[in-house]
This record gives sequence, C-alpha cells and structure tokens, in this order.
Amino acid sequence: MDRAVLLLSVMCAAVSSQPITDSQRLFSIAVSRVQHLHLLAQRLFSDFESSLQTEEQRQLNKIFLQDFCNSDYIISPIDKHETQRSSVLKLLSISYRLVESWEFPSRSLSGGSAPRNQVSPKLSELKTGILLLIRANQDAAESFTDTSALQLAPYRNYYQSLGPDESLRRTYEMLACFKKDMHKVETYLTVAKCRLSPEANCTL
Amino acid sequence: MKKAEGVIILWWLLFFTLHAEGTSYSLPGKPTLTNCRSPEKETFTCWWEPGSDGGLPTTYHLYYRKESSDAVHECPDYRTAGKNSCFFNKNDTSIWINYNITVVATNARGSTFSDPVEIDVVYIVKPNPPEKVTVNVSWNKSWPSLRVSWDPPQKADTRSGWITLIYELRIKLEGEDKWEEHPAGQQKMYNIYSLQSGGTYLVQVRCRPDHGFWSEWSDSTYFKVPDYFPQERSIWIIIMIFSVFIFLILIWAIHMNSHTLKHHILPPVPGPKIKGFDKQLLKSGKSRDAFSSLVGSDFPPTTTNYEDLLVEYLEVYIPEEQGLMLEEGKDLHDGSLKSKSYTSDSDSGRGSCDSHALLVDKSEEEKEVGQKSNQQGGRTEMDLKRPEESPEENILNYSHANVGSPDVSCEKVKTWPSLFSPLTENSSGPLDQPDSPEMAKQHCLSDSLFPPSPLSSPFAPPGHKEVLGSNYQEYSFGNMHPHVLHPQTGSHQYLQAHGNMNVANIGHKGVPADLQLPPVRSTEYVEVQKVNNENMVLLYRVSSDAEKGCPGRRHTEEYSRLKGVNNDNGLLLLQRMVSEEEMNICPYEDQESSGLTDSGYTTSTAQKSTAYIPPATQVLDERVAGGYVDTSMFTLPIY
Repeated sequence: MDRAVLLLSVMCAAVSSQPITDSQRLFSIAVSRVQHLHLLAQRLFSDFESSLQTEEQRQLNKIFLQDFCNSDYIISPIDKHETQRSSVLKLLSISYRLVESWEFPSRSLSGGSAPRNQVSPKLSELKTGILLLIRANQDAAESFTDTSALQLAPYRNYYQSLGPDESLRRTYEMLACFKKDMHKVETYLTVAKCRLSPEANCTL
Repeated sequence: MKKAEGVIILWWLLFFTLHAEGTSYSLPGKPTLTNCRSPEKETFTCWWEPGSDGGLPTTYHLYYRKESSDAVHECPDYRTAGKNSCFFNKNDTSIWINYNITVVATNARGSTFSDPVEIDVVYIVKPNPPEKVTVNVSWNKSWPSLRVSWDPPQKADTRSGWITLIYELRIKLEGEDKWEEHPAGQQKMYNIYSLQSGGTYLVQVRCRPDHGFWSEWSDSTYFKVPDYFPQERSIWIIIMIFSVFIFLILIWAIHMNSHTLKHHILPPVPGPKIKGFDKQLLKSGKSRDAFSSLVGSDFPPTTTNYEDLLVEYLEVYIPEEQGLMLEEGKDLHDGSLKSKSYTSDSDSGRGSCDSHALLVDKSEEEKEVGQKSNQQGGRTEMDLKRPEESPEENILNYSHANVGSPDVSCEKVKTWPSLFSPLTENSSGPLDQPDSPEMAKQHCLSDSLFPPSPLSSPFAPPGHKEVLGSNYQEYSFGNMHPHVLHPQTGSHQYLQAHGNMNVANIGHKGVPADLQLPPVRSTEYVEVQKVNNENMVLLYRVSSDAEKGCPGRRHTEEYSRLKGVNNDNGLLLLQRMVSEEEMNICPYEDQESSGLTDSGYTTSTAQKSTAYIPPATQVLDERVAGGYVDTSMFTLPIY
C-alpha cells in the first residue's frame, strides 16, 4: 500500500515536473501504436476485399454509401482547417472516444486469424495511453470532462443489432469503418504531437 | 393535289435528311474517370476520359455525392486542373468522407453517365516531388562524400504533422542505365559514399505519405565528383603491392630451403674426428680434460706412475705349461742389444696395445725390470731396462710429434701389452721356464703393427739375467687368426737398438758375442738388450723356437730391425732383412714366418742394407701399410 502510494506520487511528480518531455514520449508511443493499428486495419480490409468476388464487390460498393459507421456520431474535424483549430485536448479526447468505440466491436472483426485477436487488446492499450496523455495535458479544465461526457452518446453496439444475414456486408462495413477511424486517430495524434514538439519540422 | 404531293415530297426529303443526320448523332460515349488525386490531403482533382462525342458537341459534368448526405453537387472548378478535370478546393474537400463521383456527358441527343467512383481523399494522396535537391561535397580525410539534401513539396504540410512524408532517392553514373536506390525515411538529407572519382552522377528524390502513392521523381541533379585519387598514385600503389607480394614469396622460399642454403653458403665445419676426443669437453674450455682423453695415460708419459700405466696395457697370455719368462733386465755392456720384436699371435680378443707398440721411456737407470707377469690374459708390463745409462738416450715413445725427451737414458722400455699365445706348433712351449719368472715378458700387442703370429711361448731366458737383465720385448698380436696375420705380417719389426755398431742380425746374425742370447725356444720376442750411448736401443730377437736355437729369427722377415737411434731421435731401422741365412738356419721358423709373412712384406727379404728412412713418412708408408710398424713410433726419423 505504501509502495503504491509512493509510486503514484513519484509518477505524479515526474509527470508534473516534465510534462512536455513526458507527453512527447507518450505521444510518440501512441502515434506508433496507432500507426500499427491502422496498418492492421488496412491489411484486414484488403484481404477481405480480395476474397470477395467481383459481383459482390459491386454490390457492396453500392450499399456502402447508405450505411454509416458506428463512430459517425462522434464529431470530429474532417479537414485540416478544422483540425488546426481544435485544441490538443480536444483532439486527444476525440481520439480517445474513437478508440473506445471500437474496443468491443473489434472482437468480432473477421479476417486473418492472428490480427483479429490482436486488435482488441491493442486498442485497450492505446486507450490507456491516450488517457494518460489527456491527464498530462489537462490544464485544470474540469469542464472538459463534462462536455466530453455529454458528447458521448450512449454506447450502442450498432453492429450487433443487425442480423447475421448480412454478415458479408457487415464485415465489409466494419472493416472499412475501422480502417477509417484508425487513420483519424493517427492523424489527430500526429497533429497534436507536432503542435507540442519544439522542432519545427516535426520529425519523429 | 400537286401541292399535297409537293408537301409530301418535301416532308420526305426533310425526313430523309433529318434521318440521315440523325444517324451520325448519337448519345455521347461513356466517359470514364481515370483517377483522382490529392497532392496534400487538402484538395483533390479528378480527371476523366471522355468517350465518343456522338458527333455532337458534348458537355461534361461531374457530380458528386458525399457519403452522409444525398445532395448532389457539381464540380466547382472545371478549369484549374485542365481539360476534363475537376478540381476540388479546400472548402469542398472533406477528409475521411467517401465521395461518390460521376461524370456525365451530355450532347443534343442525350446524356451518358459514367460509372461512379468511390473515393476517400485520405487514400488518394500523391504528393508532388521534393524540391530543391542540392548536393554538397564534403571531404573526410581526403575521401569525398556527398550530402544530398532536399525540401518537401511546397504544398505538403509536414510541419504541422498533417502529412508525414517518407523519402527515397536514387543515384546513377552518367551514361549508365541502372539506378541505385536508397530509402531515406523521413529525413531530408542523405550521405553517399564510395563514389567514383571524377565521375558525374545524377540524383533524384521522391516522396510519399505514409498511406498514399509515391510522387514522381524529382528532376535530375547533376554533380561531378572531384578527383581525389590521382592516377599516378594508383600505379605506384599497385607496383608496391606487387613487389611486397613477390618479396613475401621470396622470403617464404628462402625459409623453406634454409637448410640447403645454409649448407651451400656456409658449409658445415667438420669437427675433429679424433678417436676418443670429446668435442664438448673442448668447447667447455677444459682443454686439459679434452686432451687428456687423447693422451690417455701414456702421453706425455709421466715418469711417476709409469708402472701403473704399463700395467694397464700389458696383457700376457701364459699357456699352462709355460710361464712367463721374465727376463731380468740385463745390462748390456757392450754390443747392441738386439731385440727383436716379433709378433706372436694370440687368442683373439686379447687386449691389444693401442696403436703404440712400444713405448720406450727413459726412466732412471734401473737395473731391474719391473715386471709383472700375469697368467693368461693378464697384462704384464715389463720395464725394459737399458743396460746402460746414457744420458742421451732417447725415449722412444710413440708420440707422434714429440720425440722422446732427452732424458736420462731409460732403461726401461715399456712395451705395450701384447698378447701372445704359444706357438701352435709349440704347444708344449719350447720355453724353458725361466728359473725365475722375474722377467716378465712384455708383450706388446699392436694389431696394426704386428701381424699375429703364433708367438712363441715364453722363453726362458735364463741367461739373461746374468747377462744383462736383458729385456726383451715381445710383440705379439692379439689375433691368432691367420688371415689377420696376413696383413700384418711383414710389418713386424724388430727394433734393433744399435749403437754405433752396425746392426747385427738378430739372432745368429752378427749377434755380438756379448750378447747372450737367451735360450729362446719358441719365443718371438724382441729383447732389448741395451740402450747405448748413442741413444740406440739394442734389441735382439729372442728366438721362439727353442729347438732350433734360432734366436727367434723366425720372423726376421717380418720385422725391420732397428738399427739405431740417430741423433735426431730417430729410429734406425733396417730394411727388412729377411736373412736367408736365418731362414736357413731356422727353417722351421722360416716356414712359419714365411707363411705368416706373405702379405706383409714390403721390401725384399734379402735386403740387408740399411736404408735410411726419412722420418716418419717413409716408414709410415711402408711399414704402416704392412701394419707392422707402430705409427706412433715412426714419427721419429728412421733410417
């Protein structure tokens, strides 16, 4: 018990003393992890697409427009301008929510045997890291948490509500949305990191 | 009616013409969207390929729909990107949103829709090539290296992290076909090493976003590598390496043949091959010790322990019936003492004298003959005593170089042990046992000198004692084998010490009357009668055949008589004088001797004249060849 307290205090002290360097390092870790997840998602999607037959592909293309991703309710900047305008904290929170929204559905992701099993725990880890970053960058803005809580829509498993008939379509959509969301998180984190880093060229 | 027909014809013509034109007009062909690209993930452009126009002017329109809404929008900008393109600016571009784009071709006849294309701007990013590719040459210890640096494309916003670009460059020599590619990661510069001096290189750089397409290669940047490796130096370096290589080979070859070379250049110095000579002892510096082995105990002869020395070297074989007859040293008053040394062979294996047949040592005047006699196999030494002392007597010694020192006359003649065995014929031994075995016969055996011959049994010199205490010497050989005898026969010598007088034959030949020959029966002994003033050893032969009464002359032919010792300390030897008279007188002996001495004769047996033998050499030649002369003895001038 004493040890845990001691450790926590040390961590807090460390975090508070050198917020920038620590957050930079955490950012780097978070960015690399999300990059990896994005690559995974890309591979899953391409594998799935290649396994489809051409007719199914055409069908899916048509259908896809009409469906939505699970994370559509999360409002996120969709261009550079908006992204630049958003604060780091906002970006981090959005990223956090995005990752969180995929924590459960990722378990049902089909695809290669190995990647599916790895996705969910990686998402959990990433979520933890983003939370740390949020804590590190929080400037006593307690109001943020409230707003973020409000913005959080009640969680609903969009993908579970549908029937198993459209499993093929469902899989396609899920994979596409997952890929997109990972890219979003990657972009947001990168932008946030570059904004905080002292180097101008923002190289890793 | 005609009006109606005209109208009908007009209508028909119109219809035909219209129809004819209408066949060339058709709907426009289906356009196709070739690609859409975004250079910086903020704007994008789409291009399409028009189909056939159907003969009518056709217009194209691009319509797009965003993913979340059903509103159809038209392309905002048809011009910026060129013909058949649509440019979406920043306001119209949304990331992470699927666009459904369609191109419509419209002409008077109608419209044709293209196939829709679904795009997400994020995945169609293809940046512009990097800009400002510059090359800098830097020197590192006279070796140049190139540093290529560039800038990202202008539009791409890498500073804010909106786009992360990865670069790649390639380089090649001018004139070559193959490029050498180097991935550079996210850095904006790159170092190149190992360049050809004086060569002209081309460099190109390209980039791509982490999820996107590669850009086009940048324009080639030419640069020339300065000459850093002068040609002349390279030639020298090659020559040096070559010579070092050859040098190493030579060294190796020499090393392999070092032994042969050493033998050629520095032939090994032959070491001393002296019997009994210890090189190591000499090396260690103890020259005295080294020479001592050579010297043995005989040389230089020490007067002190003469007796001991002699003891070692004498070996006497005494048959059962016969004992050693020792003759007391007689004093030779007058005449010469002739003693003949002859060889008698003995059993093989007997100790033989070292190559010294006779050691004549001057010792103090002694009348006695120290004699020890051993029974068979024993060695005796007998001191031969000079009957007279003469101060100028030489010491006969067997040293090569040194003549006996001019000591007091030594009456002792030490002889080497000799083996003798009784004559085969005279197994019984014609010897009269001496009354007193005082005189020990000294047998000096030298293989080289004396052909083995059956020695006569010791004779009894009864009369010797009173005469002179003559000494005799017995020379005998160790080997009894006849074949051994042969080479050595003829090398007998008998020393005849002779004073001023001429040599008289041993035995019955001119034996001075003074001499009292011992009743030698079967002995072939040389008896030193005396050493006279002229430093001559008088020897006379003691006959071994008692029956014959030959004075031991049997082996005359085998011996050379010692005529005398000259002033130069040389032994005067007679040529071999095989006296026929002697032979006649002692036929028996002659037979034996002749049989034995066949091979040994080097000179005519009839010689009776004395011949001067130049010191050493002649004797050596003749005698040594026959083997009956002790080489050591004949360092002395002999004649």
